[in-house]
Amino acid sequence: MNHTTRKWSLRLVVVLYLGLLVGLPVGYLFIKAFSNGFHAFWVEVTKPNAIAALKLSAEVALIAVPVNTVVGIGAALILARRKFFGSRALTLAFDIPVAVSPIIIGVALVLAYSRIGWFGSWLSSHGIQILFSPIGIVMATMAVSLPYVLRSVLPVLIEVGKDQEDAARTLGAGGFRTFWQVTLPAIRWGVLYGVTLTIARTLGEFGAVLVVSGNITGKTQTLPIYIFDAWDQNFDTIGAFAGALVLASISIVALIILSTLRARERKLHVDLA
Amino acid sequence: MSISLSHLTKRYGADTVVNDVNVEIPEGSLTAVLGPSGSGKSTLLKLIAGLESPDEGRVVIEGDDVTDVDPRHRDIGFCFQHYAPFRHMNVARNIGFGLRVRKQPKDVIDAKVAELIELVRLDGKAKSYPAQLSGGERQRMALARALAIEPRVLLLDEPFGALDAQVRTELRQWVKELHRQIKVTTILVTHDQDEAMEVADQLLIMHQGRIEQAGEPTELYERPATEFVHGFLGPTTTFKGASVRPHDLELVATSVGAIEGNVQSIMELGFEVQVTVSLSDGSTPWVQMSRNEFRSINVGVGSPVSIRERD
Repeated sequence: MNHTTRKWSLRLVVVLYLGLLVGLPVGYLFIKAFSNGFHAFWVEVTKPNAIAALKLSAEVALIAVPVNTVVGIGAALILARRKFFGSRALTLAFDIPVAVSPIIIGVALVLAYSRIGWFGSWLSSHGIQILFSPIGIVMATMAVSLPYVLRSVLPVLIEVGKDQEDAARTLGAGGFRTFWQVTLPAIRWGVLYGVTLTIARTLGEFGAVLVVSGNITGKTQTLPIYIFDAWDQNFDTIGAFAGALVLASISIVALIILSTLRARERKLHVDLA
Repeated sequence: MSISLSHLTKRYGADTVVNDVNVEIPEGSLTAVLGPSGSGKSTLLKLIAGLESPDEGRVVIEGDDVTDVDPRHRDIGFCFQHYAPFRHMNVARNIGFGLRVRKQPKDVIDAKVAELIELVRLDGKAKSYPAQLSGGERQRMALARALAIEPRVLLLDEPFGALDAQVRTELRQWVKELHRQIKVTTILVTHDQDEAMEVADQLLIMHQGRIEQAGEPTELYERPATEFVHGFLGPTTTFKGASVRPHDLELVATSVGAIEGNVQSIMELGFEVQVTVSLSDGSTPWVQMSRNEFRSINVGVGSPVSIRERD
């Protein structure tokens, strides 16, 4: 096999692989969602329960994504810039929620915060209900999307090193200015990538949320659960396809925005020294 | 004295990286801290800047004890080994950073930045990003950025280490000239004795965390206090059981006051020629001489020669 043939057959394998796993199913989903025309699709996505699910998912994301971004950057800074006892254990703790099945996170949250759990009983005696409420959904979502920002930012922080920050300090900059004007610009692609992954995971989480939410239609149903319900309980395939398409589009659009920004920045000035 | 360090000590775990350093650095001097890698010279620089804090000892700059002062309030210009440019800022914004921190008015900053760009010969590069500059240009930008805050002390960590040989030589001369112009007390760290001898008016020789000797370059070269300084500051060879400079030996025709042997090898390095002689006692000292001198004695490999110390 000569060089060109090998190159092209390798490309063919990659394209086939991606096509079977991603292209074909997502494309088919697209076709199916519009199989009864755009009007039928629109009717499905504007059903009150569908809107409620989309709204809840958006609200959860609006809380979970910023919180996990701040926590992730903070933890990455501490882990990259300070050596301390237990730093390894801390990194590990961040990874646990994605290393185990989401259903385990859900069950564990139920155990801890239901009325039989010691913490849950204390909370409910103070009138705070975590399970079967948006609070529980937010907690489950934050748990399963915890490490993405940390994991995307930490290697960048280590690679960039401490010199720029030290230089800013010797030039008189305080911690706040150094972070905003030196550290953050240096790690911004890591942050954006982590945020994109967090958004995708936050919107898409199913297992952990299903367990803690109680699946109350129109109240504690997020978009993935709504899709599952439409598919599994209500035999509303068009509704399921329509919801799935909306969900997939949000994440795909986020990825496209990220890569466009990156490409534009590269064009503006060569990024790497 | 511009900088005085007393009993300065820094440990990393069981390693004492800087060990009881006591030194006075004169106002307006250009001091080179010279030592092999791992001798603690970079740590010493970071201790002065406050980027590391000492386990013991004091750092005094122009009479102020700054040991417990945050680096941001020390008024020190620090140039990092790899320059640490702010990659997302262009040259002008990099240089103006310290002035913006100090909340100077915009026209003052612009004027000062323009002046510095001219001083470090980066004309036309104000809008360039660090990635678009050569190594030497990045180095000069870092220097301008450090000078912008009008520091009391300028600290340079291996300033020429990452540059190729030709740029290096040019930049050395330029730094020397720049120092003559602006007279700010400067300490530079290097492991290259030629660089140190060429640029500095004061030398600190560091070895295993300690200062071996401090003084003017020629003084140290001629009267090294320790065997380490002697060996580190220039080439040495063993003659009659003692360590001597190879240019303090000569090859002569007469055997009076000399030891006889045979030429073992000859290395011609342009102007300089190194001749290694094999002596009857089994030692093989080498002699450093000029090309002209080598031509005049007319020897080849295997020739019988006599060797002695120059008067």
